[in-house]
Amino acid sequence: MSGVRILGIGSPSGDDQAGWLTVDALLASDLLAGREVVIKKLDRPGAGLISLLENASWVILVDAMQSNGQVGRIRRFDQKDWPGYCHGLSSHGFGVLDALSLAQELGSLPPRLDLYGIEIGSVNPDEKPEENIQAAARQLANLIAAELGHAPLV
Amino acid sequence: MNEQKRTVAIHVPVLTRVEGEGALDLRIEDGQIKELRLRIFEPPRYFEKFLEGRSYTEIPDMVARICGICPVAYQVTAAQALERLFGVELDPWARDMRRAFYCGEWIQSHSLHIHLLAAPDFFGCDSVIELARIAPEEVRRGLRIQALGNELMDLFGARSVHPVGIRVGGFHGSPSLSRINEIREKLRAVLPEAEALIRWAASIAVPQDDQAFVSVAMQHPSNYAIERGLIGVSDGLRIEAEAFDAHFAEHHEPSSTALFSSYHGQPYLVGPLARLNLNHARLPEWVKTLLAENGLALPSRNLFHSLVARTVEILLALHEALRLLDDYRVPDSPWVPVTPRAGVATGCTEAPRGLLWHRYEMDGEGRVVNARIVPPTSQNQGRIEEDLRLSLLNFGLDHPDDALRLHCEKVIRNYDPCISCATHFLRMNVERT
Repeated sequence: MSGVRILGIGSPSGDDQAGWLTVDALLASDLLAGREVVIKKLDRPGAGLISLLENASWVILVDAMQSNGQVGRIRRFDQKDWPGYCHGLSSHGFGVLDALSLAQELGSLPPRLDLYGIEIGSVNPDEKPEENIQAAARQLANLIAAELGHAPLV
Repeated sequence: MNEQKRTVAIHVPVLTRVEGEGALDLRIEDGQIKELRLRIFEPPRYFEKFLEGRSYTEIPDMVARICGICPVAYQVTAAQALERLFGVELDPWARDMRRAFYCGEWIQSHSLHIHLLAAPDFFGCDSVIELARIAPEEVRRGLRIQALGNELMDLFGARSVHPVGIRVGGFHGSPSLSRINEIREKLRAVLPEAEALIRWAASIAVPQDDQAFVSVAMQHPSNYAIERGLIGVSDGLRIEAEAFDAHFAEHHEPSSTALFSSYHGQPYLVGPLARLNLNHARLPEWVKTLLAENGLALPSRNLFHSLVARTVEILLALHEALRLLDDYRVPDSPWVPVTPRAGVATGCTEAPRGLLWHRYEMDGEGRVVNARIVPPTSQNQGRIEEDLRLSLLNFGLDHPDDALRLHCEKVIRNYDPCISCATHFLRMNVERT
């Protein structure tokens, strides 16, 4: 397994595709070619996310977020903030931060984990993501490529 | 002795660690339960109405959306009901793989419930994250077993959440032999862990409760019923799915957006403990021995044994999946042709949470005229309220409020209620003056 994994999390509903769009932008470029990076699109993985962190040295996670902020804003989450965002543990609502908190408790987090959120608006089924979400996804893909030591995407 | 009477009003506004949104109201006056109500307030989703006018080809994919945890149960039940009406005889390959697919769902759903939802209660933890601090190996094992169940679902359904593999007449595709061999190795490797899980669950101290209740589960003459069989009742009744309405009835209660079900006017239990109670004679001898060693006598009248019952069904499902995938071959075609016809299609299977019953009236072109779906949680609703009442009296009403609240939540979680599944069929009567 590769040491570096980029995981885009989302669902087919409108702006909730933000994580997938980021991964798409990375896949559409050839900037990561030749480098051993595992890139995956995940549909609401719940606790299944934990097994995808195993044996990785660096995981970059991208998900949509809603915090009444400006749509399209990119935010990087610090590990110390996770507990404040965990709530209501039903398995229907077992979210990314719940899974990461459980992984942390089990000692299953990779040595480096970068968690990014893209502020989204509507999440209605069968709707396309807004243009500003697509732009934010491209911007975040650039940022991730730069973090990985590549030149920005066009 | 000066006995102190008190008035207790416990209101749990949102039940956690259950699927969906519900609440509990409990009022105790002068040492008597005056009010006890499991309130289901999650808005109805009108799934049956959405199905009207849809082609039979769309039904398996649409009903899969009712539940993210047990979509296979909905797909298999719908497909079987329609196949029965259309006179479709499945290829033996498709029949076996449907059962293997279903095993995957039992494995993931049960493991999820045990570790993420139920077990934290018995260790004084608020969540699985807290449980992981004191039982990390057990939580890791649970996640591994759950992931394997998901993988088995993904194998036949292309994805584990809302899979798309089933069609009326069989499957859309068939997995390659190399993928089957890969998962067989994993299934075999996890068997000792599943046995250890049974021993761990049996060692957890649970309240001693003894209640008389009616168990309802499917029964099959030669195997542990999952996707085929008659509906059996602990009083000896055995009926085909078509006869469901002659013995079971649904009604509304003002406090719930889900219907209540009754059997000859009384509440009843569906789910893993009801299945074990009715089908323990079908268990392999080595499973019976394992249970005897761990102190579980069947039939059981203690609903807190539901946790162990789920672990037993995980082991059974793992073995069954392995058996079904032995001598796997890629079929010439994973489906047989279907010609729709008008009539009423009825079917039932054992979803992880219990009996799931479907009825579709179809027109001559294979479109749904009307549909009715009776999920396990609505069938258990009356039993949950009855259990809460009896279990609280057994537990003692003089405990502090927090202890009463926790006890009630534990009782409710025994049933693994899926409120989201149960609230999709509200019938509205609008009166206008």
